Amino acid sequence: MSHPPDRPEILDSDHLSTRTREILTSRLSVSTAQPRTLSLRAYAALDALLPVLLPLDEILPPATDIAMTARIDAALSGPRDGWRFADLPPDAEAWESALLTLDDVAAEQHGLAFIHLAPDLRGALLDAVMEGQIGLEREGRLTASQMKRWSGDLRGEVVDCIMSDPRIQQALGISSSLTGGDTVFQGFTKVGSDSREDFEPKATAPLLQMAESSE
Amino acid sequence: MSSSTLMKTFAKTDIVDTLIIGSGAGGAPLAAELARNGKTVVVLEAGPAFPATGHTPDEIAARELYWLHERLSAGTNPQAFGGNNSGTGLGGSLLHYGAFMPRMDARDFHLHTETGKGVDWPFGLDELLPYIERVESFIGVSGPAHYPWDPERRYAYAPPPANSAALKMREGCDALGLRHADGPAALITRDIEQPHFGTRHACANCGACHQGCRNGAKSGTDNTWLPMAVAYGAELRPGCFAHTIERDSSGRVTGVVYRQNGVEHRQKCATLVLAAGAVETPRLLLTNGLANSSGQVGQNYMTHVSTQVWGEFDEDIRPNRGYPSLTITEDMMRPKDADFVGGYLVQSLGMMPATWGQNLARSTTTRGPAFARALAGYNRSAGMGINGECLPRPENRVTLSDEKDAFGIPKPLIEHSYGPNEWAMHHHAARLMTQMWETVGAKDIRVIDRAAHMIGTCRMGADAGSNVVNPVGRSFDIDNLWVSDHSIFPSAAAANPALAIMALSLRTAEAMLRT
Repeated sequence: MSHPPDRPEILDSDHLSTRTREILTSRLSVSTAQPRTLSLRAYAALDALLPVLLPLDEILPPATDIAMTARIDAALSGPRDGWRFADLPPDAEAWESALLTLDDVAAEQHGLAFIHLAPDLRGALLDAVMEGQIGLEREGRLTASQMKRWSGDLRGEVVDCIMSDPRIQQALGISSSLTGGDTVFQGFTKVGSDSREDFEPKATAPLLQMAESSE
Repeated sequence: MSSSTLMKTFAKTDIVDTLIIGSGAGGAPLAAELARNGKTVVVLEAGPAFPATGHTPDEIAARELYWLHERLSAGTNPQAFGGNNSGTGLGGSLLHYGAFMPRMDARDFHLHTETGKGVDWPFGLDELLPYIERVESFIGVSGPAHYPWDPERRYAYAPPPANSAALKMREGCDALGLRHADGPAALITRDIEQPHFGTRHACANCGACHQGCRNGAKSGTDNTWLPMAVAYGAELRPGCFAHTIERDSSGRVTGVVYRQNGVEHRQKCATLVLAAGAVETPRLLLTNGLANSSGQVGQNYMTHVSTQVWGEFDEDIRPNRGYPSLTITEDMMRPKDADFVGGYLVQSLGMMPATWGQNLARSTTTRGPAFARALAGYNRSAGMGINGECLPRPENRVTLSDEKDAFGIPKPLIEHSYGPNEWAMHHHAARLMTQMWETVGAKDIRVIDRAAHMIGTCRMGADAGSNVVNPVGRSFDIDNLWVSDHSIFPSAAAANPALAIMALSLRTAEAMLRT
């Protein structure tokens, strides 16, 4: 069976349950038509923020788009994980306010919307957020300490999105979804170091090629 | 759950002998024990009945096993809940727990007597040990033939195979002269017929314990106590969110109002047991204004100091494979160079990728290509982590926030801040584990400051003035109200709480049968 570049081989493994296959496959096609949670302005700021936080060009094949912005925006309107920092508003509101804070600060410091800043300036602003140095004391915006808190949520959300994506799992050689099929629950026979089983993916990410070739 | 027998059901107008809120480690053993002794029992569970075969290793979808009613986390160490704590569904938190099942250290029952800090339990290990052994025997716990810190101890099942992280930690312990062993794990390593349940298969080393065990190898309440309770005539009601406790003019509990599929129902009962955990149990008492003459409901919220240290190796580790946390050392239960009271257990750590990535993401501020490279190091990563004593502190507590949830009930606010003892333990453990990883060649070593588990808030003790329940779990204020979960722990101790919760549950059931 041949695979279009967007369909990772792990999805056709018989070590995958039907339910898990459906969950993973659903992440391959996400509607990017319009934001579900964020305003257009906040969505655009997030879209410009993600590449400076976590660029994927060294992990995925060229031109692969996993629609991270759309998936995070959608996730913010879906079931959450049952808790939040007491000093932040509810998740969807916190994200909207944080991204607008970033955009306002960009305009104040550089006279440009966040999306129009060069990548190094966007990165510098994100660093300042993570250091607790950027915030606004006004309605609908977050203070510097709230922005710092939110930056942890941002990083966590991005990682959830990435590590649960079948294309990323394939590229990094991660076998965590392949715990067993519907009729036979195979698990793993080998669990020690340097003992990849045949059904487990080999890493294909460019940044891991050096390590793999020495295997 | 698979049960061959049809479950008995009760009318809501029936006054059942015992109504239990919660079907996890606190509620389920007690339900089984009371039903086995002829009591009529109904268990209300807020979550659904998950079929084990439907569990998925996908970490995002598997959040369905977490308690998802929003909690607000505050303090200088606001605790990240989610996967770390409460569960939902028939089986409670044991649906997603890691099944690491050490016994409480005998010294941890008497920490105050030993050190002048913390709180003593109203009894010692000798009192709880018979119940601990009953739990281990009934649910199935694997462990080594020889346990270095307790030579008398025996486990019915051989340990699962050691994964890469477990093997690496053994090397680290050997290098530093620490004893190590395969830790006690609540899973079975050969197929068995579980009484009242059916076939449970041997652990397949799939590594997704925290996402729900698909073949019954992990010992939860869903495949042990709950089917036993049903076999003896108890009724389990999933999807029932209990919110109001009703009383008569004398103040005794008469029943509970709960919501199921958007409709309010009332179940009458002669006795009520709260087994909803260290946040929901005090929340129920606080919203209903009950059982708090001591002023202690919600107070002394505790966790475990759960520092982790991760490193990267020049090997294909694949940390998702195998039982995640097999190797243990108990040598740090009272370290000679400690600048803190109490002690901690060290365990090896494999981990599923999103959980691992979350820890990495929240403990660093790296970004750009360096962040991508760190995440790409997943398959070469191994970890160690601790569970350590956390002292009760007045500023750590569960209260009702000003915000209401979808049911119109105040969301709980959980304040959690480390004190000097917790920080000293964290730094001690971080130094030790860093040294261990350095010694065995790990690179990019990363310390993660975190707390886990949830303990305390309805303290058990002999004195009605400073405790919520007496030494067998009965409310001092309302004689037909009992609490059976980790909220009654007077101190956190170092061991993961599930085993002690189940043992206390059996003990409380016996006390209820005597009254």
